[in-house]
Amino acid sequence: MSDEIKSSLPTPPPDPQPEAVQSNLPIWIVVLTLILIFIGGLYFDQHGGWFQAQVYGPYASADQLELYQPKSGAAAALAHGKVVYEQVCGLCHGVDGLGKPGQAPPLAGSEWVTSAGFNRLAHVPLVGVNGGIKVQGKDWNMAMAAMGAALPDADLASVLTYIRSSWGNKASEVTGEDIHKIRSTLGAHPAPMSGDQMAAMPE
Amino acid sequence: MKTGLPVIFAVVLGLGGSTVGFVLAPAVQLGGVKQTTVLNSTDLYPPQRIGDATLGLQVYRANGCAACHTEQVRQEGVACDVVLTSAGKNPQAVSNLLATLTMTHLTKEAADTVADQLTAAGGKVETHIVPVGVDLDRGWGVRHSVAEDYVYDYPVQLGNLRAGPDLANIGVRSPDSNWHLLHLYAPASAVSNSKMPSFKYLFNLQKVGASPSPDALSLPSGFAAPAGYEVVPTTEARQLVAYLLSLRANQPVYDAPFTPPAKP
Repeated sequence: MSDEIKSSLPTPPPDPQPEAVQSNLPIWIVVLTLILIFIGGLYFDQHGGWFQAQVYGPYASADQLELYQPKSGAAAALAHGKVVYEQVCGLCHGVDGLGKPGQAPPLAGSEWVTSAGFNRLAHVPLVGVNGGIKVQGKDWNMAMAAMGAALPDADLASVLTYIRSSWGNKASEVTGEDIHKIRSTLGAHPAPMSGDQMAAMPE
Repeated sequence: MKTGLPVIFAVVLGLGGSTVGFVLAPAVQLGGVKQTTVLNSTDLYPPQRIGDATLGLQVYRANGCAACHTEQVRQEGVACDVVLTSAGKNPQAVSNLLATLTMTHLTKEAADTVADQLTAAGGKVETHIVPVGVDLDRGWGVRHSVAEDYVYDYPVQLGNLRAGPDLANIGVRSPDSNWHLLHLYAPASAVSNSKMPSFKYLFNLQKVGASPSPDALSLPSGFAAPAGYEVVPTTEARQLVAYLLSLRANQPVYDAPFTPPAKP
């Protein structure tokens, strides 16, 4: 195409130029964004665990994790008894229940522990013993403070259940209500019993 | 340079933000993780790794095991099973009730309701916490991995590809060190369809001396050493196996509770 022909054609109209105009952000976008942020916040609050180091995976919050801790059942009570025993009693009676010469008599196989009833046994940690007792034909002459007096009923019951069913012992379990009954027969600060008094207690 | 200040500001924001998010926040959140106690027990978890097992982590790392193996077990959910331990004094009422109740795969709330109903009828119940997940169905673990599992790992060998099985609990799943040695020397001799490469260079092929070495592998036919030779694991192989056997993520802890099976 020559220049001559091109110049003879009519000039095309100029392309429409884009033009910048100021316009307000549509209000629905603002509202929608705020609603989405709000829903996201709610979801995070319920499922995020709030950055707690111990909350993972299937658990959504610290409360839920606490809810799912295995607590019920005889096994859990026994396990709790073991924990309390090792903290309170194990130092002298030994974590193996064999006692320590010159410190505390054995609990494993002891007729004091495995008796059919637990009335006498429960009195030992509740009031304490002062003076000699006979365990498995052997004399033990020493004092035990009322180590269990400060324990809650349920804790003391689980300890007694634990020592009555561990290390080969096979005796009935003790419940918190039993301990509560026995404790309520005692005064506020019962005096420690002597070994002979304790031995004379009904089982 | 008009944009200098905004560029510097953007760089500081970008690098600072990622340092806070990826380094500082996790360090604050989990940097102080220590040994924890096993649930309902006074035992500590995890036990400190000793001797060969400590060195084995470096062998594991040097051989790139983490390229194909993970050490992280996932758990998708948690369920409660209600277990009747004793029917009590009124077995008829309890068994009538049992016929109408679902006992397994409950939420905690539903399990508590069921337990209350059965207790009211005179039965004795236990509620068992049961983790649920695909990895657990495969037998790779008993619960999801928690931060405490890695307290003694440096560097942590999490891995992100599972060309091979997860190893978080391998010490419980395969407690036999001879099996591990055989498997490292000739994977196909232990697992028929194994894709794992052989780690023969962790073993010495040596002439049988005056008497055979007590450490020599007893290889199945088809994998056995040529006559007059024996295969003896090197120190590295032993360390690696000691490390693998120390991977035992099977204890219930507060972060990952479950009811362990009753001891016989």
